[in-house]
Amino acid sequence: MLRNLVMGIKALFHREQRNQEMDEELRSYLESAAEEKMRRGMNQQDALRASRVEIGSMEMVKQKIWSAGWESTANSLWMDLRYAARQLRKNLGFTFACVLTLALGIGANTAVFTVLNAVLLKSLPVADPDRVVYLNTSGAPRRTGTIDSRETFSYPVYDTLRQQQRGLTQVMAYVPLATSKVPVRYEGEPEEAEGDMVSGNFLSGLGVKLARGRGFTVQDEASHAPIAVISYNYWTQRFSRSADVLGKTLYVNGVPLTIVGIASQGFEGVEAGKSTDFWIPLQSRPELNAWGNPLQDGKTYREDATWWCMRLLGRLAPGVTKAQAVMQLQSAFQTAAYIGLGNPEPGEQKPVLSLKDAKSFPGYDEQYGKPLRMLMAMVGLVLLIALSNVVMLLMARNATRQREFSLRLALGAGRGELFRQLLTEALMLVGLGGGLAWLFATSATRSLGRWAQIETSLAPDNTVLLFTLSILVFAALLFALAPLRIALSAGPGLALKTSAATSNTDAGKTRAGKIIVALQMALCVVLLVGGGLLVRTLRNLQHIPLGFSTEGLVVFGVNPQKIHSVPEGVAFYQELMRKLRVLPGVASVTIMEERLGTWWSDNSDMMVDGKLPDVANGSSRSVRSNVVGPDFFHTLGVPVLAGRDFSDSDTAASPHVGIINEQFAQRFLPNQNPLGHNIGTDNGKYQMTVVGVVKDHKYRSIDETPIPMAWYMYAQIPMTGKMHVELRVHGEPLAILPAARKALQQMDPGLPLIQPITQQAQYEQTISQQLLFARLGGFFGLLAVLLVATGLYGTLAYRVNNRTVEIGVRMAVGAQRGQVVWMVVRDSLVLTAIGVALGVPLAALMARALTSALYGVKPYDILSYSLAVYGVVCVALAASVIPARRAASIDPLSALRAE
Amino acid sequence: MPDSPSELVQGTLEMLILKTLALEPIHGYGISLRIEQISKGVFRVNAGSLLPALSRMERAGRIKAEWRATENNRRAKYYALTNLGRKALKDETVLWGRQIAAIGRILES
Repeated sequence: MLRNLVMGIKALFHREQRNQEMDEELRSYLESAAEEKMRRGMNQQDALRASRVEIGSMEMVKQKIWSAGWESTANSLWMDLRYAARQLRKNLGFTFACVLTLALGIGANTAVFTVLNAVLLKSLPVADPDRVVYLNTSGAPRRTGTIDSRETFSYPVYDTLRQQQRGLTQVMAYVPLATSKVPVRYEGEPEEAEGDMVSGNFLSGLGVKLARGRGFTVQDEASHAPIAVISYNYWTQRFSRSADVLGKTLYVNGVPLTIVGIASQGFEGVEAGKSTDFWIPLQSRPELNAWGNPLQDGKTYREDATWWCMRLLGRLAPGVTKAQAVMQLQSAFQTAAYIGLGNPEPGEQKPVLSLKDAKSFPGYDEQYGKPLRMLMAMVGLVLLIALSNVVMLLMARNATRQREFSLRLALGAGRGELFRQLLTEALMLVGLGGGLAWLFATSATRSLGRWAQIETSLAPDNTVLLFTLSILVFAALLFALAPLRIALSAGPGLALKTSAATSNTDAGKTRAGKIIVALQMALCVVLLVGGGLLVRTLRNLQHIPLGFSTEGLVVFGVNPQKIHSVPEGVAFYQELMRKLRVLPGVASVTIMEERLGTWWSDNSDMMVDGKLPDVANGSSRSVRSNVVGPDFFHTLGVPVLAGRDFSDSDTAASPHVGIINEQFAQRFLPNQNPLGHNIGTDNGKYQMTVVGVVKDHKYRSIDETPIPMAWYMYAQIPMTGKMHVELRVHGEPLAILPAARKALQQMDPGLPLIQPITQQAQYEQTISQQLLFARLGGFFGLLAVLLVATGLYGTLAYRVNNRTVEIGVRMAVGAQRGQVVWMVVRDSLVLTAIGVALGVPLAALMARALTSALYGVKPYDILSYSLAVYGVVCVALAASVIPARRAASIDPLSALRAE
Repeated sequence: MPDSPSELVQGTLEMLILKTLALEPIHGYGISLRIEQISKGVFRVNAGSLLPALSRMERAGRIKAEWRATENNRRAKYYALTNLGRKALKDETVLWGRQIAAIGRILES
């Protein structure tokens, strides 16, 4: 084996020497043969001739000896490669167009598939994900607050369910330490990270391995051990995979926690699109309350049965189905749901437990499934166009090579050899295009992930590699087989014909070309309509009025650590606002509990004049509320329609005041002056007088419809925790941040500005997915048009060029230029008409599927369709008029002589 | 018919070459001549099949080659069996015997 290889390589490198050796051996063979014949009595000349005849062609024998070794195959492959490279180099424009088209088409597909794969196809990186389920409920009992009415549970429910030991072998709980990130400190600078509190069995129950150190135990949960496990990703990014991070202290909200382990690579929590940086056992202390919330009546999430804030996961017992597990746990769950709440109210529906597969990230499918599938379909079309483009270019180019193929066939090349040659050329094109595509895809994937705010790892895995490779192989075969038909159809006879033109006017071939052109036009219409609709959606989304101007608004969070009482908290924020107001460039300052434009809102029923308001059957009584500081509406620029804004003179000691929006007034206080009415929380504990009515404006997100809202004054309700500061400044909003940070750190050097961002950007995050989808859709639409345009231009121009002789003849016998141009253009217009007739209904189908992604534009929007058709016609006209005019302006005689 | 040389039986060329070389090292034409003589002119091997076969067998390590002077003082490439070649000859002879016997039984039955 090895000797074979070595000798082969030797033969390859010493070809001359090997050749001489063969020559010498053959010569000695010949002479020996002749000698033998002479010995038998022939004369020398006859003997030599007879021996030569016996041996036959010397070259043939040498060739046979050559091909006995593997190196000859390698050699001919090498020759094929060199020949292919020469062909591609000879036609640089063609090669460049093909490679770029392939790179864009395949790259886009790889990028979108990478995201699709990471988001929709991969399962949770846990052991045996098929047996892991999410616990859901039909809702929480009345008089409770939830994070998500279907997905969160109270601590007593968790505690009860895990003690059941029926149906589920493990019940695991996790609850974030903040709605987004929590302040942490590790050797110095304050920063932020995403952390979850988890049950002791969370890591072991899911089957998450530890890369280093240890995980948690049930004892750690029971003793609220101050330890942390960090994610592999966090370890890499924050700690540069330093080995001595174990045993170090991580301060979370000022609480020291010892890092005891590093989770295995790939596990970043079980939340959609988020990557958890660290986990700690469930704690019981005010600094580490669930979701970073302040204590409610002095109770943490563990004691507060009215706060349904924990997410629960379970592992099905062996052999138990989801339905069986639910049956075994339902009554225990329904009893536990009312622990600490008293009996259900008359007529109240008890919550119902259900289990949901946790094979893949929950929520991903609803959130990204549809847009991603649509995108995949779009880039699939782009790929189709790209492939057909290259095929057409190849066929066009190889048609001009027909005489070459014919000559080769005539000289004795087999079909196999021609195919091998074409395949080598195709592989070379595809290899170049594929390499470029992969580069393009990796950067495109990164920006795709950034735009969509998917923090989960998007590294392409083997599935993606396989996907791309299969496209490449398919493309290579396609590109080799399509021109092979032409090459073989020529047959060896064609080489004898003299005309270049006659070889290119095969009727069947042009028919196939016509069909492809018409189909491409149809696809082009579809993508242009889709892209147009999405671009208009994008414009609409970006121009939705918020009800106030975000220009100059910047927002950041502050989470004071050293506050132990309500007055201290009020004093802290008063002092902070005072410091910020005097900064140069600041127009006004306010604070709020819930940041605007984060999707978050605090929803509850509210009493109006001492009772829950009557509402028409079925309509909601829900009121969205926020706790804000003085000058809130003035700072935002929301018009106060009646009454006044909050002011510094509203204090804990003064009468409690509240402000409502138009919706509130219309729905709960219709046909009366809302000012002076009394509103309050549904448990009657807190009451305030309405002192202002403000105009409806966007609150949680850009594309919401307004619902009733009420605002509380922060100084009048017992709260001490995190708030968000809103600044309106003159000039560039973010430029104020260093000064603001300095002001804050004068008060407490350990405090960071949490997620500082302009208010505009904050709002845009709520439509980031629509924006992303619209941007990408528009981009791929344009890309497709570009590809189609170049492809059409190439093909049509090629078709016209083939008719140069015909045009010459026509002009020689007296045709006018205009007539000739029209003849060519008419041809293209017929194709365009067919393409449009096919494309418009297809586009309508696609637009209907797109409906949910559109905003402010109907799926059958006439303008988009007209523009798409117009675009296609323009491309077709340009692609035929230009070459037609060129053909018509040639001197008829020289066109004829070109023969 | 018996007078005109026939083609070799498929797949036997290498075995015949091995057998020929088992006696003594010999050059290309010598092999061809000897096969012809021993088979009494029934088999004739021409250069077009002999030399590629030799090259293939050399590659496979069954024979080795060496340039030497012939009895007529001419340079020629002499081939000789290697250990591997001797073993291959033994194996192929056994195999061949078995095949011949089988074919004989079929033809006689």
